[in-house]
Amino acid sequence: MSRRKRGEKGTTYFDYSLLFILIFLLCFGLVMLYSSSSYTSANKYGDSAHYLKLQLRNILVGLVPMIFFAKVDYRIWRKFGTLAYLGSFFLCVLVMLPIPGLVRSSHGQSRWLNLGPLSFQPSELAKIAMIIFLAMLIEKIPKQLDKFSSIVKVGAILLPLLGVVAYNNLSTAVIIFAIAVCMLFVASPRYAQFIGVGIAGIAFVVVFILFASYRSDRVDAWLHPETAGDAGFQTLQGLYAIGSGKLFGKGLGQSLQKMGNVPEAQNDMIFSIICEELGLFGAICVVLLFLLLLWRMMIIANNAKDLYGALLVTGVMSHIAIQVILNIAVVTNTIPNTGVILPFISYGGTSLVFLMGEMGLVLSVSKGIRLETIESIG
Amino acid sequence: MKKRKKPVRKFNRKMRTKLIVLFSGIVAVLCGLIGRLMYIEYTSGDKYEKKVLSMQSYDSKTIPYQRGDIVDCSGTILATSVAVYNVILDCSIMTDREEYVEPTIAALVECFPELKREELESYAKEKKNSKYIVLARKLPYNQIQPFIELQDAVDEKGNPVHPNIKGVWFEKEYQRNYPYGKLAASVIGFTSSGNVGTTGLENYYDDVLNGVNGREYGYLNSDSDLEKTVISAQDGNTLVCSIDSNIQSIVEEKIEEFNEKYTDNYYEGDGSINTAVVIMNPNNGEILAMADYPGFDLNDPRNLEELYPKEELKNMTDEETMDVLNGLWQNFCVSATYEPGSVQKPFTVACGLETGTVKDNMTFLCDGGEQFDRWVSCVNRNGHGIETVRSTLMDSCNDAIMQMTYKIGKENFLEYQSVFGFGQKTGIDLPGEASTATLVYTADNMKPIDLATNAFGQNYNCTMVQMASAFCSLINGGTYYQPHVVTKITDAAGNTISTVEPKAVKQTVSESTSLQIKDYLYSVVTDGTGGTAKVDGYSMGGKTGTAQKLPRGTGEYLVSFMGFAPYDNPQLLIYCVVDEPNAGDEAHSYFAQNIVREILEEVLPYMNIYPDEKKTGRNKGLDVTGQNAQYTGEHKPVKKRNENQKKEEKEEETKQEQEKEEN
Repeated sequence: MSRRKRGEKGTTYFDYSLLFILIFLLCFGLVMLYSSSSYTSANKYGDSAHYLKLQLRNILVGLVPMIFFAKVDYRIWRKFGTLAYLGSFFLCVLVMLPIPGLVRSSHGQSRWLNLGPLSFQPSELAKIAMIIFLAMLIEKIPKQLDKFSSIVKVGAILLPLLGVVAYNNLSTAVIIFAIAVCMLFVASPRYAQFIGVGIAGIAFVVVFILFASYRSDRVDAWLHPETAGDAGFQTLQGLYAIGSGKLFGKGLGQSLQKMGNVPEAQNDMIFSIICEELGLFGAICVVLLFLLLLWRMMIIANNAKDLYGALLVTGVMSHIAIQVILNIAVVTNTIPNTGVILPFISYGGTSLVFLMGEMGLVLSVSKGIRLETIESIG
Repeated sequence: MKKRKKPVRKFNRKMRTKLIVLFSGIVAVLCGLIGRLMYIEYTSGDKYEKKVLSMQSYDSKTIPYQRGDIVDCSGTILATSVAVYNVILDCSIMTDREEYVEPTIAALVECFPELKREELESYAKEKKNSKYIVLARKLPYNQIQPFIELQDAVDEKGNPVHPNIKGVWFEKEYQRNYPYGKLAASVIGFTSSGNVGTTGLENYYDDVLNGVNGREYGYLNSDSDLEKTVISAQDGNTLVCSIDSNIQSIVEEKIEEFNEKYTDNYYEGDGSINTAVVIMNPNNGEILAMADYPGFDLNDPRNLEELYPKEELKNMTDEETMDVLNGLWQNFCVSATYEPGSVQKPFTVACGLETGTVKDNMTFLCDGGEQFDRWVSCVNRNGHGIETVRSTLMDSCNDAIMQMTYKIGKENFLEYQSVFGFGQKTGIDLPGEASTATLVYTADNMKPIDLATNAFGQNYNCTMVQMASAFCSLINGGTYYQPHVVTKITDAAGNTISTVEPKAVKQTVSESTSLQIKDYLYSVVTDGTGGTAKVDGYSMGGKTGTAQKLPRGTGEYLVSFMGFAPYDNPQLLIYCVVDEPNAGDEAHSYFAQNIVREILEEVLPYMNIYPDEKKTGRNKGLDVTGQNAQYTGEHKPVKKRNENQKKEEKEEETKQEQEKEEN
């Protein structure tokens, strides 16, 4: 292997492995989406490919921000950090107001914003805004992060957005909070204080759960899914699906639980259908695929040209990791039902489009890597 | 550009380490979750798998069968099942999208005028998740056709014109329909709650008429795959009856006419309590017509409005209504028992002839009655004088018949009554045949007076179908055929499944006795009491009956006439019973004779039986009333029936019972 001389411009790098894993995940997601939704959508819409077509459309729409973010030099986003923060804060406040024609409610809560032909959840926007904003913030004050007080300061800056998001959707707020914690954890040289923050965060969530009545139903369903009645139904059916999958599953398309037993099998609970059809083996493969994706992102972060890029990638990586963990934890009834989707696989437009945008950011960072620096990682 | 260049902050080694720590943390958590998956699999895998399999309940849809038809001897449909449709709204589909609601409601309101827009709109608002709302029931196909056409309409390119009509479907069902309504109502019977035969043939042949429901269902095969199977419905079988709807309608028409004429004639109310006619083919036991009065509409069997004024219906209790309905639905010809009167006399004579105890050349002196423990008088109180066997029947003389029983003896008489089937069920294929076993005498309890009165048809009970079947054997050469209504059973496609052959049960009398009796009965119609029934131009035989009803002496009679034609080769036997004709003096068989004559005048030509005698102008110009002295034609009732009865019930105790038989 020939070494390049220092100062010589390195060959432009592009992380095709990551792109390939992403494409593979998206395609696998489409297959599973079709399998899990075909029965119910054929019954409901008379078209078994109803959700498949919509998701395909979402992916095509998602390609636009992905290519855009991949092409544009990520460093310019530094300038938009504050704007992103304020913008998403404004939209999250807007969505709380009952403005007819602009705000759409789904499942009893108004979380959707209609902007012409587009409608999306501002809370999803808040995630990516948070990543861009926090990366900018940390880059400016890396040294100060040694002190606990500055971490508290950062926390105080983030609090308004977190509060607004939590008002609408607790699980999204938890995700944003966790992303922030992860990014700060990586940037800060300390360990101990993060254990404290983690404990505080968990305590906050527990208290919140105890005081919000509709959520304590979910807790009840979590602890005793068999006796919780309707609330425990989805959880229990998901468990049945997982349990009946055995080691290698019933085979692709052979799920029985998707036939109306697992409600919205194509959404939050798609992992349970994967378990049922592909078994433990398939489930582990999916987890490994995500790990591979996260590993590639870790490599990119470690080799990023600058701190800002590395932090961006760290944020995206944390985001995806947290969603995967939360989703699988819900499906296996390890934590109460929160309604977090499985990235790239579950059905859902806004989330997918923003996730693909984030992947574009990561690819853009990967483009900045100079090949000679990779060698230090091996 | 160079100005702007600041020292680029790097992702330092410490941060890299922490990122690796973070990644390791993520890996650890995911491994924990995989462990959790394995744990679920290991501890509850089998349990959950069974749960999943046990939860599979695949919609199994019933495909209704079509109940078989009932047709008459020439294939006229008397009862059939027609497909009707329930309009079902699946509200969850209709309200799934905003744009479905308005077009669907508009189409429903347009095609089904009885549906109200407000009601549908309230469904769309309040019952969003309801999947099964019945909007309309039992509509014939032509009423749902406009909607189906609207829904399926396509433009030239093959695109649906109304793609937003969603969530409406039709549920097929069969409804019993009787095209002729009242015709042969008590014979055919009706069904309730779909396919349960309640009365008549519908009840007797319920299992033959009913088919087997089909089913569309899914099941799991050994690979736990879903298999769908359709078992098509087996339609019920069709009954072919010996009833001839033309004869039946002539009979019913005449019964109706008689009762209309005699309504309010003497008493307030109907022309008779009941008027019933049976027409049989004496050579095979087939029932050609069977009717009673009043009839009812098979399509609406619970409607009493025709019979009672509305106010009276309101005041009736449920029990009273049910009693009236049961009486209405009952087939008088099969289920009612009564004392037949003088129609019995030919049987007594035949018994005497068969046993050799009575001979054609014997004579008897009628002096107006016989003395037992009480006096039993003849119709002619002064006596008929010397009676031959033939003139006994012609005059319907009680005294002579009573004297015959002295010769016949009770053993012979009872043996032959049993041979003729009295006291036994005929086994006709209609439900509710009355048992008369306890209403006839046995050798142990029969006193001389009982024998004497039985001999002219009082003091024991029979049913119409019993009497008619026995009479057939008397005139057809002595063969007793089991009476029956159904002649053939075919499947839904028209293939014959079984044919009912005439069932000759026994030989009742010898051929010579049969010929002799026929000869006597010819004289009864030609020169005796049965003259009123004579159809001019046809050779006929017959016997009248005027039975005094219990309690005796109240003036209530059941009059009847049994007739057959043509005399030498009887093709049809007709038996008509009029229970308490609405007249001041009921004791005349000509109420029944007039009906029989009117019926036969139309039925004989219809059956292609040609006149075999010279016309003499007898009974010319008579109608169903026969223009007799009892017919006032004024419709101004003198009394109320039940008033009369009440009064007579009081009198009954003081009045001595008296046997009386006329004609």
